[in-house]
Amino acid sequence: MIYLDNAATTFPKPSLVMEEMVRTYSRIGASPGRGSYDLAVQCESFVHEVRQQVSNFFGGDNPDRVAFAYNSTDALNTIILGLIQPGCHVVSSRLEHNSVLRPLHHLRARGLITFDLVRFDGNGFIDPQEVADLIKPQTRFVILNHVSNVLGTIQPISEVGSICRDRGIPLVLDASQSAGLIPIDMQTMHLHAVAFTGHKALLGPTGIGGLVLRKGIEIQPTRFGGTGIESRSPEHPGAYPYRLEPGTLNIMGIIGLSAGLRYIAQQGMENIYNHEMSLTRALRDGLASLDRVRTYCADTLENHLGVLTCNAEDVDPEDFAAILDGDFNIATRSGLHCAPLVHEDLGTSPRGALRFSFGPFNSLEDVKAALSAVSAVAK
Amino acid sequence: MPDVVKGPERVHNLTTRVIEGKEVAFDEEGFFLNPESWSRAIAETIALEMGIAELTERQWEMIYFLRGFYLANGRAPLNRDIKKQTGVSLLELEHLFPGGIRGGARRLAGLPNPKSC
Repeated sequence: MIYLDNAATTFPKPSLVMEEMVRTYSRIGASPGRGSYDLAVQCESFVHEVRQQVSNFFGGDNPDRVAFAYNSTDALNTIILGLIQPGCHVVSSRLEHNSVLRPLHHLRARGLITFDLVRFDGNGFIDPQEVADLIKPQTRFVILNHVSNVLGTIQPISEVGSICRDRGIPLVLDASQSAGLIPIDMQTMHLHAVAFTGHKALLGPTGIGGLVLRKGIEIQPTRFGGTGIESRSPEHPGAYPYRLEPGTLNIMGIIGLSAGLRYIAQQGMENIYNHEMSLTRALRDGLASLDRVRTYCADTLENHLGVLTCNAEDVDPEDFAAILDGDFNIATRSGLHCAPLVHEDLGTSPRGALRFSFGPFNSLEDVKAALSAVSAVAK
Repeated sequence: MPDVVKGPERVHNLTTRVIEGKEVAFDEEGFFLNPESWSRAIAETIALEMGIAELTERQWEMIYFLRGFYLANGRAPLNRDIKKQTGVSLLELEHLFPGGIRGGARRLAGLPNPKSC
């Protein structure tokens, strides 16, 4: 099978990741921080090392401010629900995934917050100045997608970060698509928080993600329970990372995340990015030569990741994907990609479009096969 | 008038019509809400509305395959099942029905609107 749905989850995972998960979990897969026996201590120590690894990766300033979560959606819910105050205002964008849109909508529907969404231009980019224009005295934070999961466009986050810093507003980054492909430095980009998932470009398994918080941003816990510390207290502990981590951690996932980060370091993040972009360019150029195929926001591939979305004239995107799968053994993703406003603005709602997304194990042969298949569909 | 029913996963704008003397409920895109309410005569009526004067033997074969698989397995066939079990490629199936695989074949076969996002 040719797998071109890496923006959903990367597949396959590097063998290093798979082997490391089995090996390390077999060795230390106890409950971290919940006992004083050596294995539990070893496991806790390993988890702390991974917190440090993650903190270093994102330019964080304290490994204890790395809180693990199930995925980006989980991490984003944690930060959105933990940051809002009744009556506050939030700025976000129309490029967001439902992982941000739905929590915001939920809170607005209950009269707790208001929010404004920045538009994106014809090339798929937001304008930092528009973010600045939407900030109000009651704006509590700005939350933005680093890379659109539909368009692959890398947003001007550093510029927005400077604006937020000058206005004293925390900037929260959804790094679901970008983490593992392009550098994210919380210090220089002026980010207060980054939400990430482990199973996409970080090449780990599903079920692991997290939040990285810088000093100065405080998140109120919205879930409570066992943490392995302060058991006598009826109150959930306020210390990080326990404040945001009720329940036993996903150790297998943390091992896989750590191995994914090591794999990326070995290969070189820039090399992986360049490889995926060379495939994206080849696909874009090939699709551009097909009269009955339309791509979206891909005229220029500057500030872009290996995600390309298109439609074939008179073919329902779901049928398009079914044909590629059933006849050509090519896995892609059709529909609205959980980002309904992007499709609304592209004019592709409600049926959406077909998305190709590359991973480190794709090749030029995969692109050729995809182009041949699309040619057959779009005849 | 369409009736709006909120379910746990989707919101259906229901339309109930009487076709061939039988009351049939459809969702907002014209898919059968209840595959059991399908009949050959109803499918013919819907086909006519889609611009198909008479369904061909080939089209009926595919409709009955999709229905048979659904009723036996409780789900639509996988893309590979269709090709393997009928010898009809997905691309052929797309061209066989106005509306293509989903809006044509699947809808006429009375299968539920597939969940997608």
